[in-house]
Amino acid sequence: MARFMFVYRGPAEEHQHDMAPEQMQQLMEAWNGWIGKGFEEGWMVDGGDALHLEGKVVNHDKVVSDGPFAEAKEIVGGYSIIQCDDLAAAAEIAKSCPGIDSPGGLIEIRELAGMGPKE
Amino acid sequence: MTGELPEDSPADLVEHFFRHESGKLIASLVRFFGLRHFDLVEDTVQAALVEALRTWRHQGIPNKPSAWIHRVAKNRVLDRLRRDKKFAELATSIGTSEASLESLDSCLSDDQLQDNLLRMLFTCCHPDLPADAAIPLTLKTVCGFGEREIAQCLLIQGATVRKRIYRAKRSLIQRRVSYELPGLEQLSARLQTVHNVLYLMFNEGYASSVSDAAIRMDVCEEAARLCHLLTLEPKCSNHTTHALLALMLFHACRFGARIDQEGALVLLEDQDRELWDRRLMNRAMEYLHYASTPDEWTSYHLEAAIAMHHCRADSFANTNWPAIIALYDKLLASRPSPVYELNRAIAVGQRDGPQTALALLHDLRSDSRLADYHLLDATFGELYRRSGELDTARQYYTSAMSKTQSASDRELLRRRLSQLGS
Repeated sequence: MARFMFVYRGPAEEHQHDMAPEQMQQLMEAWNGWIGKGFEEGWMVDGGDALHLEGKVVNHDKVVSDGPFAEAKEIVGGYSIIQCDDLAAAAEIAKSCPGIDSPGGLIEIRELAGMGPKE
Repeated sequence: MTGELPEDSPADLVEHFFRHESGKLIASLVRFFGLRHFDLVEDTVQAALVEALRTWRHQGIPNKPSAWIHRVAKNRVLDRLRRDKKFAELATSIGTSEASLESLDSCLSDDQLQDNLLRMLFTCCHPDLPADAAIPLTLKTVCGFGEREIAQCLLIQGATVRKRIYRAKRSLIQRRVSYELPGLEQLSARLQTVHNVLYLMFNEGYASSVSDAAIRMDVCEEAARLCHLLTLEPKCSNHTTHALLALMLFHACRFGARIDQEGALVLLEDQDRELWDRRLMNRAMEYLHYASTPDEWTSYHLEAAIAMHHCRADSFANTNWPAIIALYDKLLASRPSPVYELNRAIAVGQRDGPQTALALLHDLRSDSRLADYHLLDATFGELYRRSGELDTARQYYTSAMSKTQSASDRELLRRRLSQLGS
């Protein structure tokens, strides 16, 4: 069994501004249902969290800058931790996530290396 | 008055939580900032809802979701005022002193909520706005509908909805409409406008020719919810408000029987009366009872009483047609309308047979106001079918079919035509 981080990327917030409240509610319920199903079936380890869109960036010269990437076309919006056999299985799980139903939604799947080298 | 509207039960509250939260927040923040800053308010509310969506989809819904969203909205507001140069002047005038923060908190507090919503309702249903602007504006700001949903229900283009809402907001700002419950001297006239908008809103939901039944029902529920809100405010809770709410509930209690499993409209005559919602019907009876002082009956009273007679009958055949005809006579005397005439003729047809109804309808045939009204043609089809003139019936059903976009109406007409054979 391997563990994976799902990194949810999507359009920055402004793009969600024409979403109607009822649509938001449906989307939220779909997410809650998906994460709940994951816990039930055992592949969801941690539902994760959303990330605020603002932050700081510190570079090599120790220069600190404001780090919202809100002007970027796509931004990391949150993450979850999933467990399953391999990357292919993780990709199948990602396909069922409501996050990719919204236009511009994208999930990056990265294996957690701390589980040790593959046998 | 006993009991509450079903909209108040926890399950339903959760059901349209985002919509209603949007309406509550807009009403509360407009009270704080004034109508002039409508756009700032709407942006803030939208941003707060998006943040809720983003966070809750991972973490689930917090214990006090409303309080959560209010806190976010408040922080957003303060953030905008601090950082956005566009609002520098506003920020100075409001200040971020303890006092103004306290007043922001008080505007957002639950005990102001009903008052805020009523202010918003009276603002959106201002007599200076035409009803075709007031309805979309109310649906958007008070009920939290999206523009696409409104367009779908009112059968107009999304761009038209946006334009009407935009103009309505500008007009309210330009006329410096005050954001308040009207004083007693204006109340009666202003309340009439609110009643009228809610009545039309309900009708749009009830009769509009859209195929999507869910959104229509939502609009009806919203109209009833807002009318119920009026009954909670002593200044607004008069006989007419009760009659209007009774009227809405008498119709709403039949929702479950109006569309069959294939999505076809089921006429009153064919509805399974067991499916009617007795609880809503009893509620409607109570409201009509409270509304009753026969010397000041409005058209809402009369329409509610007609709907009541339909609800009370244990079968279509046993409907009290003479009473219904008498009520239509009163309606027509106070407010002539070809649609009332049509409905009266249908009732007469039930009492005296199709030939009598057809004679009554003779003049309506050429009434230009009904030229595109598919229910006129459908009624002719029905009456000719019952008189055994099948060819004529077929022509009218076909013509009715060409005049409606509603999938449920079309399905019903299609079945009628196939029953007639070719």
